[in-house]
Amino acid sequence: MKMIRAFIRPEKEQEVILALEGAGFPSLTKIPVFGRGKQKGLSVGPVHYDELPKTMIMTVVGNEDADKVVSIIKEKARTRFIGDGKIFVSPVESAYTVRTGEATL
Amino acid sequence: MKEITVIIRRDKLPETKKVMDELGYPSLTIQSVEGRGRQKGAMCAEMDSEMPDSYCTSVKLTPTPSSYALEHTLPKVALFVPKRLLTIVVPDDVVIKIVKSLIRVNQTGKAGDGKIFVSPIDSALRVRTGESDGEAIA
Repeated sequence: MKMIRAFIRPEKEQEVILALEGAGFPSLTKIPVFGRGKQKGLSVGPVHYDELPKTMIMTVVGNEDADKVVSIIKEKARTRFIGDGKIFVSPVESAYTVRTGEATL
Repeated sequence: MKEITVIIRRDKLPETKKVMDELGYPSLTIQSVEGRGRQKGAMCAEMDSEMPDSYCTSVKLTPTPSSYALEHTLPKVALFVPKRLLTIVVPDDVVIKIVKSLIRVNQTGKAGDGKIFVSPIDSALRVRTGESDGEAIA
């Protein structure tokens, strides 16, 4: 299994979530976060914003679905301007559903 | 070392912390998150008693078909349930014991109990002393 953590623009959140749901991946956790990237924040005239609000979407999917989920997020979150965000994929060894106690997603 | 990421009900947090104390692994990170699972959160007003009324809009108890949602602009298509996310880093050999305890404490049998994910951690470092790996999480 893979854990996918995507840092996206908050205004793109709804669009990404709908697309994931449409593709059959309704389960996710979202966390509002602040961060900065390669450009060290954002400068608008004399004002410098060091930390910008983003939404982190965290979801765990099977190995075979990881590429598909990443490409959906990539496509929907893209505006081609700086600040579109990052997607990280990391391994998950096991997942348990608390309600049943079974080791399944 | 393994990282255990647990998503649980908000009201189960004190019990979970207590059981982690008893097991001897009291260190944990808590985050307040919103999420949904296989039930898409849309039915959560019925199944999740902790759901605040403000979340129960006109679309409450109506599972939103994604095909409809994609074609129409709905004010609040996806309903999210507030949860607590805990991150715990523990040695390999106690992972099964901790997972079992977490399941025992958090299980209510209703949808919305949460998920537990176990992932590998390559290294750890205690900032104060510079101890690494096993010593850092002991």
